[in-house]
Amino acid sequence: MISDITLGQFFPGNSFLHRLDPRTKILLSTVFIVTVFVASTPMAFLLVTLFTAFLMAISGIRASVIFKGIKPILFILIFTTIINILMTRGTGDPLVSFWIIHIYKEGLIRAFFMTLRVILLIIGTSLLLTYTTSPISLTDGLESLLAPLEKLHIPVHIFSMMMTIALRFIPTLVEETEKIMNAQKSRGADFSSGNLIKRAKSLIPLLIPLFASAFKRAEELAVAMECRCYRVDKKRTKMTHRKMVLSDWLSLLFMAVFLAVIIVSTTLAPGEDLFSKLAFYKI
Amino acid sequence: MMKQGEEMIRAEHLTFTYDDGSDKIDLPPAVTDISFTVHAGEYVAILGHNGSGKSTLAKLCNMILTPTGGKLFIEGRDVTDENFTEDDMYDLRRDVGMVFQNPDNQLVATVVEEDVAFGPENLGVPSEEIRRRVDEALDIVGMREYARHAPHKLSGGQKQRVAIAGVLAMKPKMILFDESTSMLDPLGRHDVVELMEKLNREENITVLHITHYMEEAARADRVIVMNDGRIAADGTPREVFCDADRLHALGLEAPQGAELLHELRTAGWQIPEGALTEEECAAALLEFLSKDNSHE
Repeated sequence: MISDITLGQFFPGNSFLHRLDPRTKILLSTVFIVTVFVASTPMAFLLVTLFTAFLMAISGIRASVIFKGIKPILFILIFTTIINILMTRGTGDPLVSFWIIHIYKEGLIRAFFMTLRVILLIIGTSLLLTYTTSPISLTDGLESLLAPLEKLHIPVHIFSMMMTIALRFIPTLVEETEKIMNAQKSRGADFSSGNLIKRAKSLIPLLIPLFASAFKRAEELAVAMECRCYRVDKKRTKMTHRKMVLSDWLSLLFMAVFLAVIIVSTTLAPGEDLFSKLAFYKI
Repeated sequence: MMKQGEEMIRAEHLTFTYDDGSDKIDLPPAVTDISFTVHAGEYVAILGHNGSGKSTLAKLCNMILTPTGGKLFIEGRDVTDENFTEDDMYDLRRDVGMVFQNPDNQLVATVVEEDVAFGPENLGVPSEEIRRRVDEALDIVGMREYARHAPHKLSGGQKQRVAIAGVLAMKPKMILFDESTSMLDPLGRHDVVELMEKLNREENITVLHITHYMEEAARADRVIVMNDGRIAADGTPREVFCDADRLHALGLEAPQGAELLHELRTAGWQIPEGALTEEECAAALLEFLSKDNSHE
């Protein structure tokens, strides 16, 4: 059934990560991204890896599921690895030298850490955001965090309303797609055989009625919203105000301290870039 | 709370013509020269077949459409007046709620209680007050236990009850139901009609129910029959439905029971007029049959 699809891979649950305020999680993942990019010493990488493992442990989501999330970016990972191996020039003799391909020890080290960095980045942010936060609370959190932009006349609340309505209507439209597909299948339409172009073509008679009905829905919804006194230019109130609780503040504090530790441990190591820092540790 | 008998809606020679943007064809008016008054606390059904202008009338009453002719007063305010501003319109709209035909296309939020809160949020009601109103509205429609559910998982009748709760949370004086039962299964329809009557009796809300189901219209205090953009009949259900010949001329039928008695009368049976509900019709038939037997 297509109606079972989840958007953005949210896994409902009640873990510590699930219960954190969406704003906290957005901030945490921002800091986490910075941390991963700052980390340049083996020690720092070890700490970030341990931290990511810790997130996995408290998320209550099975490790196999989490690793499956890396699959879509497997190509990027392999590409990164190969480029780093081939493009890095080392100081010593190359390990392998064949035609124009020269592989140095430094290249292997660099490729390993770069790939690790991307993997940590994906796992960490998806654990903090999409896996443990429902799309609707993510929207809420973003609206609340971006609210100061309203002062610059950026209509944050309108974007948030659009997101909410889109999320509300995805299941409705999926249901409708199924109905139209069944109606057309019953009249002999074939959606599942033939090559890619043929299949794409068979979707056109599906998309046209779907679009027509979506526009009709949009118009009716607009009238219904107007009847309920929705006005773009008027200040709205909110029924529920999310409150940041102690655990939110503590998580943010912990993350800030963690970033500080990574920065210190990285800057303490001499050298200009990742490679020279790694070289300092004689690996 | 509005006093009983106060004027809610007054239409004087109300006319509306749709403008399709082209100058070539002059569309016939959808609503022509309509005059009627609805008082606070009334339960009025507007009946008519497709294209009779009943939905246009609803949109006029809710100020989605602006009259092209005549006058329309809502709570005594002239909406056709040139000094009638957009703010005035939104002021009146909070008093006149509307429930639409398609239950899917009027729910905005992904959680039931958030949707009910949408109206009061738009009005700028303080948070605690919204919370109170939402709980109260969900209690009235009997959907409190579904407060945290996703709307798309509910049945049609349940969605429509949530939509009604969304209107109730705005504390309206009047609710317009624009064919709100036509897309529901019999059970959902029954629930929604019961709810309309409850709102009218217990919450003292004026109900304007636009429908093409005779059985539903027969339950109202008053029935207005629309035909071709004009009012063809206006009276109590008893007055309107007992004139079966006139209904037929308008392309409508009386509720099944009344229709049966009418057929029997034209076939020569001496059954008195006036029976409307199924129970009344059964009783009238029984009385006639027992009298008939005693003659033989």
